[in-house]
Amino acid sequence: MFINKKEIILSINRIIFSSLDIRKVYQTMSNELLKVIDFDRLSVTLITENNNLYETFVLSKDYEYTNLKEGVLYPMEGSLMKRVVQFCEPVIVDDTSKGRFLTDTVLFKEGIHSRLGIPLEYKERVIGSVNFGSKRKDYYSKKHINFFLQIAPQLAMAIENTRLFNKIKEAEEKYRTVIETSPDIIFECMKDGKFSLMSPSVEKITGYSADQFYNNQGYGLSLCYKEDQERVQNEILKILNGQNSSLMDLEFRVVNKQGIVLWLSLEALPIKEGNRIIGIEGFCRNITERKKLDELKDNLIRDVTHELKTPVAKMEMAIDMFERSTVPGNEHVFGKSSQIHEILRNNVNRLKNIIKNILDISKLESGTELLKISDISLVELVDQVISELKDTAGRKKNVLIQQLPLNIPIIKADRDKIHHLITHLVDNAIKFTEHGKISILGRILPNEVELTVEDTGRGLDKKTRERVFEKFYKETPSTFGSGIGLAICKNIVQIHKGRIWVESEGKGRGAQFKFTLPISTNNN
Amino acid sequence: MKELLIVEDDLEMQEFYKDMLQGEQFLVTLVPNAEEGLKKIKEKKYDIVILDILMEGITGDRLFALLRKESRYKEVPVIMASVLDEKTYRCFQALGNVSFLEKPFNKERLLNEITKRLESQK
Ligand SMILES: Nc1ncnc2c1ncn2[C@@H]1O[C@H](COP(=O)(O)OP(=O)(O)OP(=O)(O)O)[C@@H](O)[C@H]1O
Ligand SMILES: [Mg+2]
Repeated sequence: MFINKKEIILSINRIIFSSLDIRKVYQTMSNELLKVIDFDRLSVTLITENNNLYETFVLSKDYEYTNLKEGVLYPMEGSLMKRVVQFCEPVIVDDTSKGRFLTDTVLFKEGIHSRLGIPLEYKERVIGSVNFGSKRKDYYSKKHINFFLQIAPQLAMAIENTRLFNKIKEAEEKYRTVIETSPDIIFECMKDGKFSLMSPSVEKITGYSADQFYNNQGYGLSLCYKEDQERVQNEILKILNGQNSSLMDLEFRVVNKQGIVLWLSLEALPIKEGNRIIGIEGFCRNITERKKLDELKDNLIRDVTHELKTPVAKMEMAIDMFERSTVPGNEHVFGKSSQIHEILRNNVNRLKNIIKNILDISKLESGTELLKISDISLVELVDQVISELKDTAGRKKNVLIQQLPLNIPIIKADRDKIHHLITHLVDNAIKFTEHGKISILGRILPNEVELTVEDTGRGLDKKTRERVFEKFYKETPSTFGSGIGLAICKNIVQIHKGRIWVESEGKGRGAQFKFTLPISTNNN
Repeated sequence: MKELLIVEDDLEMQEFYKDMLQGEQFLVTLVPNAEEGLKKIKEKKYDIVILDILMEGITGDRLFALLRKESRYKEVPVIMASVLDEKTYRCFQALGNVSFLEKPFNKERLLNEITKRLESQK
């Protein structure tokens, strides 16, 4: 039954080197071995690096296809395998019914009655074993061992090669998936400015394809925002010269294909070949959104600071002006004193307004404010507001009128708060309107009343409409006001379970601030 | 006489400038916004331009950056005046020939700053 050994080795080698698919390798091996050693079950076991577990690939001649139990790890303890590995010598089991190894019992149930295990050695390390199983008792003998030991080294080498190759392939695949799916730009760039790697995400971010980077030396830097170019270049040179061992969070701007400026953050390390730095690798993250938020936050802080500090600064300067005007010999005293007086009064009021608004919004937001609910007549309330603000409106040549349906029902609400709400809306309308008309209109809807404060003033564009109810927001930071007024209005409406919004045809086309309040039913 | 251009949208602040510079050896032009400031700068060469930062329309810092972009106005000496602290304006320092005046300031501080600026131009 033994064919020429050389022939088998040749055929195994041929197959092994033509394929690096571990399934094919084992299948070939199984087919070829069957020509020389009879078995009903063949398994290849490979031990893990820590020598505690092993992985089995079972091949059986009964099955039409090789059955690979891949990736399952078994404990070494109690197995034939352990013995083979420990003593690095072949082991024969003549009768599995005796249960010498734990695995014998299992195999006996599968109809395997005798076994032969032969170690596979590679570079003086046992990497696993090849195990034969036969349905016949006392089947394997010394001659099988002798024959097999001659081809074992080749087999071991082939198996180890395949295994290594697959590991590398797996790692490479993982790496490739990371690069291909990463939202960040992953890159490698050589010292001469040539990219050796550029992840496809670069196209999503910059609009330019990875190929454009591969084909053009130094393409990356040329996309850099002009004012940032030098800084980025210097930092990269520092890495290439070895002056710096890494780059962390270098923020810079690029101009994308659509001409939009984006913010990127770069992290990078040198690529080394031995001790020589040959390039740079790293990734770029798109941080434009974060930058935008930062900017909003900064602007907000800037505006609030400005609003709080300006009146104080001007009062200080007014006091300085007063002191200088009282210096003996200064002839301008009389004219000055009323001017100083006015500046002081204005700015105290301005500060008072801010402080009051901040306190009001804090109270509302903390939710500790109790509503003093009573029956209120909106018609009466609106009339009151009009009589209070008529003069102010007149000073800016504005007409102030109301057109409420007479049958607007009495609602349950906190009178002071609703008064504040309407007053503020009208106040804003006057503030942003000159030589115009301000009307307070009303509508009765199924379960609520809707009030509108309409003006013919400067109006609001879309961006402003979206933000007016934010705390501290003002379209023009330098205009008088805390920017809290509408945030307070929104809060007041919300605690009354109503809605508030703004409509405007756009800049210069007037504004309509609208809110609703629920009409109370009998049960509340 | 040295000519000063002051771009300031706050009427009360304008009064302070007038009061402090009255009787000093300067020819003072006051304008209430950046657009008019730019117009003036185009008409005539000023020895110093004082810019408020937060103004309606074009802000002072924008106007300053705009000036520095044009070679003709690259050298115009600028003083930025604001209640904001120096940090907000620091990034403009790189654009050159600018100093910062924090509000509130008194007459001495203002004159001092102007003199320093004028001297550095020699
Ligand atoms: N009727 C209106 N027409 C045009 N713009 C308006 C109108 N009402 C409000 N706005 C815009 O909304 C911004 C915020 O208004 P809000 O009432 O919250 O603050 P403010 O009036 O600036 O200050 P204050 O808190 O002192 O009332 C205003 O600065 C303005 O830009
Ligand atoms: Mg307001």
